Amino acid sequence: MANPLNLPMVRRSLRNLVSRPVTRRYPTEIRPRFAGARGTIEFDVDTCVFCMLCARRCPAAAITVSREDRYFAIEQLTCIGCGVCVEVCNKGSLTMSVNSRAGHTRAEVGPQGQRPGHEEWRKPAPAAEALVGS
Amino acid sequence: MDGTAFLARVGAYHEAGWRLALINVTTVLPPTAAHGRAPVAEATTAVEAPGVFEIAWAFANGGEFETIREQILAGEAVPSISEFFGAAFLYENEIRELFGVNVTGIGVDLKGQLYKTATKVPFSHSAIKARLEAAAAGAVKP
Amino acid sequence: MKRTVIPFGPQHPVLPEPLVLDLVLEDEKVVDAIPTIGYIHRGLEMMVERVEYTEMGFVVERICGICSFMHGMGYCVSLESIMNVEVPERAGWLRLIWAEISRIQSHLLWLGLGADAFGFENLFMHCWRMREQILDVFEKTTGGRIIHSVNRIGGVKRDISDSELAAILAELQELGAAFKETARVFRTDPSIAHRLGGVGVLSMQDARAVDAVGPMARASGIATDIRLIGANYYDRIELQPVTETDGDCLARVLVRMREIDQSIDIVRQAIGKMPKGEGQAIETKVRGLPSGEVFTRLEQPRGEVLYYVKANGTKNLERFRARTPTFANIPAMIKLVKGCDLADVPNIILTIDPCISCTER
Repeated sequence: MANPLNLPMVRRSLRNLVSRPVTRRYPTEIRPRFAGARGTIEFDVDTCVFCMLCARRCPAAAITVSREDRYFAIEQLTCIGCGVCVEVCNKGSLTMSVNSRAGHTRAEVGPQGQRPGHEEWRKPAPAAEALVGS
Repeated sequence: MDGTAFLARVGAYHEAGWRLALINVTTVLPPTAAHGRAPVAEATTAVEAPGVFEIAWAFANGGEFETIREQILAGEAVPSISEFFGAAFLYENEIRELFGVNVTGIGVDLKGQLYKTATKVPFSHSAIKARLEAAAAGAVKP
Repeated sequence: MKRTVIPFGPQHPVLPEPLVLDLVLEDEKVVDAIPTIGYIHRGLEMMVERVEYTEMGFVVERICGICSFMHGMGYCVSLESIMNVEVPERAGWLRLIWAEISRIQSHLLWLGLGADAFGFENLFMHCWRMREQILDVFEKTTGGRIIHSVNRIGGVKRDISDSELAAILAELQELGAAFKETARVFRTDPSIAHRLGGVGVLSMQDARAVDAVGPMARASGIATDIRLIGANYYDRIELQPVTETDGDCLARVLVRMREIDQSIDIVRQAIGKMPKGEGQAIETKVRGLPSGEVFTRLEQPRGEVLYYVKANGTKNLERFRARTPTFANIPAMIKLVKGCDLADVPNIILTIDPCISCTER
């Protein structure tokens, strides 16, 4: 039977009492994300050719691409951060950045049924000169 | 399926000190266009045949692994192996609740209270067919 | 004597996941326990009807957060067996290393929860602090702390350079040295000995009768370990299953603690034996559709996990079944709970390392 006066944790606890905390003082002190951490998907509309490979391969169906409208949209809150879209894109339009997905505070649904976290880009047709609103 | 012969085989595994690893059921559906396979010509005109389940009882002994496979019709009685492998009750309750396999004589009978699912018997033939047809009709990716 | 029925769960401070046990009590002794699960049943096996086989890997690794890596690995290994895909050697070793690191993290999590279950919060915090170092290793190498998404059918998606591997090994060995102090607390502290010693004794015979797997069986003296079969490069590793003979809760704590040291040693062996150098292939391109069926067994931190995959030549699998070790250990848990005191119930439930998310998929 163990000796009831032998308390091995006491020494450790006393040491912890006088040493520095091991936790970070978040949010005043933020640890930078490691390089290669899977964060949010970023899209460059200028290089995209609307081949729709990313939309086909997305496991969560978070990406919508339309060739006729030259339109790319991603639901950031549906995205699972797997990186398959980044892997299949031949033009390098999609990149995985280490930033966390932006918080979305509004829950309203957009005119075309876009859900919170929805981000869309439109690329003007080559001959068009008028500005296309987003 | 021949209940006595089956139980004799299970008993032999138990005598030899094997461990029950899994009781798995696969709902066998005849191929139809609804899930992307070539339709069988007679399937559309034949009377709805009772569905078939494929059951596999898997036993393990260290590195060795063997299975007993049986094809049974929906509704056919399947004897429980709880007398040999006490731990089988969990698998058998699950296959009864999720697949509708008629297992008789389970050691600890949880009377349909093990899982709480929105669709009762979600893996029965009718439930799977209904889901596949709904998916094909709606063509909606989840 | 009058019997009372007390529901244990679904929310309880010691339970990591919801589980209901209706405990039938006579005075303070538990006479019977009726389990109800289903609070975290998400129907993931049903998703094979809708999700293609290439995407199912992402669903499978989300069955559980603690056992995530080995679920993804098991799914990919099963599909590779069906499709006869040869995985490059470096990818196989990387999977082994990640799997063992995942085991360390799972055991540290459990040790913390076990300490919390009998009120030793200080020790709980220490174990989880050490676990944070492992999660940082995962974030640096796979991109995610819990859900890794590095397993693909045909290999892995990311490589770890040799210098990074050496750094990881140094970190793990430092962790192993720091863990010795915590291990000493578990072994010698009188309150732990009092709460766990002699509680929930599972004799070797009973362990065989209820088909216990993993540390449950090993703590009762049965030297069973799926890694001994030698698949997935484990045949190149020297390992002996960690066993204890007492079969009580304290023995299971000791088994899991010693497995942490064993896993650090396995990572050291693996880094020594894997092919070195930069720019090696880590993924084989996979073509065609799967057709056939396979049973795959792996040793997860909680025991033997069994995957049954059946494919019929289309993009959707016909059947996917993951029989997780907690599912196999629930009969053992129910057997142990009968006849114990009410105060020991949380310790006994935690001693099987319940991962109810895995059990219910």
